[in-house]
Amino acid sequence: MINFGFALNKPRTIDLNRNNLNKSKEVISEMPELQACIGCGSCTASCTASNLTEFNFRKVHTLVRRGEYQGAYEEMNKCMLCGKCRLVCPRGINTRGVVMLIKRKLGDF
Amino acid sequence: MTFFADFCIPFIVGTIIMFAAIAIKYFIWLRDLPKSDKILIIKGIFSPRIFTATWEVVRESLLHYRIFKVNPILGYMHMSLAFGWFLLISVGWIETIAYLGFKMIPLQGHVFFKYFAVLNNIEGHKPMFDFVMDFLLLFVLSGVSLAWLKRMRSRAMGMKKTTQLLTFDHIALSALWFVFPVRLLAESLTSAIYGGGSFLTGGFGSLLAAGISTDILQIFYEPIWWFYSFALGIFFVAMPFSRYMHIFTEIPLIFLRHFKLRPEAKEKSYDNFEVEACSRCGICIDPCQLQLQLGINDVQSVYFLRDRRKNRLQQKIANNCLMCGRCEQICPIGINLNTLRLNSRTSMRNIPNENRYKYLKNLDRSTGNGRVGYFAGCMTLLTPNTLSAMQRIFDAAREDVWWADKSGGVCCGRPLKLSGESDSAQKMIDYNKSLFNKHNITTLVTSCPICLRIFKEEYRLEGVEVLHHSEYILRLLEQGRLRVNYSTEQTFTYHDPCELGRGSGIYDEPRAVIEAIGKLLEPSHSRKNALCCGSSLANTAINDSQQLTIARNVAEDLDNAGADTIVTACPLCKKAITRGATHKVKDLSEIVAANIK
Repeated sequence: MINFGFALNKPRTIDLNRNNLNKSKEVISEMPELQACIGCGSCTASCTASNLTEFNFRKVHTLVRRGEYQGAYEEMNKCMLCGKCRLVCPRGINTRGVVMLIKRKLGDF
Repeated sequence: MTFFADFCIPFIVGTIIMFAAIAIKYFIWLRDLPKSDKILIIKGIFSPRIFTATWEVVRESLLHYRIFKVNPILGYMHMSLAFGWFLLISVGWIETIAYLGFKMIPLQGHVFFKYFAVLNNIEGHKPMFDFVMDFLLLFVLSGVSLAWLKRMRSRAMGMKKTTQLLTFDHIALSALWFVFPVRLLAESLTSAIYGGGSFLTGGFGSLLAAGISTDILQIFYEPIWWFYSFALGIFFVAMPFSRYMHIFTEIPLIFLRHFKLRPEAKEKSYDNFEVEACSRCGICIDPCQLQLQLGINDVQSVYFLRDRRKNRLQQKIANNCLMCGRCEQICPIGINLNTLRLNSRTSMRNIPNENRYKYLKNLDRSTGNGRVGYFAGCMTLLTPNTLSAMQRIFDAAREDVWWADKSGGVCCGRPLKLSGESDSAQKMIDYNKSLFNKHNITTLVTSCPICLRIFKEEYRLEGVEVLHHSEYILRLLEQGRLRVNYSTEQTFTYHDPCELGRGSGIYDEPRAVIEAIGKLLEPSHSRKNALCCGSSLANTAINDSQQLTIARNVAEDLDNAGADTIVTACPLCKKAITRGATHKVKDLSEIVAANIK
């Protein structure tokens, strides 16, 4: 069968009541424009790193906002910070700033 | 003969503290220098460079030639204070020698010579020295009055904004303002009571003597010398801890620079000389577009250096800079502002991580097998018109090309380096370098000035000539391998990208290419003075609307040049300017490709 690159995700639940949203709130308060994201995925479509490996900026920052931090820092480290996503974002979100902010909040610096 | 009076104590204490503080600072900075820098210093001392350095010290630290070039009034102000004070001190020494011959006289004996001349009844009045000293005092006082004027109305001095000061700066500044007027008063009073002095102190002295009785003048005589001594003492104590540290730091800095010491990607002890050589003159504030268009007032180089010196630099200040280099090219001390900001960012954000970019291993999506390599770069891949124009140019010139990243490549590493993660950026550099070496290219062409800059500065590609596409196209035109239609009907204006112009020094090649096609009209800001498009990758702090404000301003400037087409040579600038311009915006390669014969 032709592989179109789509796959069904395993069913899972995100419990916003149980997740620790502190970091998420910090991210959003420092970068409120992230809430303007409409999830169009232009960032991911244009991404240099996504072209080479499985990295999905939209997925990572969405999960972080929902308090799902596991592996987010390591994923964000795949980003090359080239800035194409910022140019294509229809909402004008400072995506490079988001990458650096999430890394600062979830990493050790 | 005695050369001591109680009022000298504040001056003596101040002088000792100042020289001790400076000596400690220099000792620590020099001790902490890396070994390679120390070797450079030793080599430099025994080379002819020491003479050129000495001349530059005279030209810059005393005469302030570079400030003159930027702003003549500010230049005069700095020169009259520095050179005037220097002459006052040196002529003062000659004066004491003329009166007393070569004799050991303590420092305060020279500084307060007028007082001690009276006290010791020194004979043989020399009016010539009085005249010269009065003239020099007037020279310095003219500078002080300009300094007052600058604090009150900076616009009168051709500066829209002047620097906001810290406590120690205020103390030192106030003391400095008092030093010379009080000296005038003290010497005039001396001349009023005991005679002597020339047109200034003598004239002012006769006025005082005519209006006030000698008994009353006598009451003020000692206190005014105390006041003078205090003003000097306070200034000297505050100096090493205020912006006036630049007075002495600039001198070793000039020598070290002539010995070829430079700031590097990582912070090192030499940076201290550059950071403390900043006089906070504030000349860097006016050209900053963040200040001009967005009213951001706390991130400019002068404040960045101040915060770094005080060890209170925050990421949001360090990151909020376009690194366009407009301040660096105007800085009268020639501080490497961008390099210092970059190594500050590196200190804040660089975390070596071995596991990063493991996915680059064994990756090779390049196509073609020519000796000429073309690296589009991320931004060119996002502006496909530039890419297809380059394809047409290569075809027309029958060039056999190796396409490094046509179907997706790895970033050049400069964006990550600009954000401070230099160790991780090195992984991309290593990857791309091995890719270039694997395909044996001899020429590397790129249409992105951001990539160009890091290729030239960090890649150290041996046997590979790195060219921007403007240089490459010009070469094709000169060799006759590419022929284009020329028409005066077509008018263009050219926007200098920061990384290409100020960053890589390429100004003429793109202009020569444009002039082969049509008429070139210069915008009001061009070449070294060109504006930044606002989308610079170096700034991760400003938001989209702020970027747009800067882009609109730049686009307006370019639109006003009156040409049909705005041309630039950077895909990122093109994207940014397009958002604000009313005329067409094209990449250099596009107008060339459209006019191929």
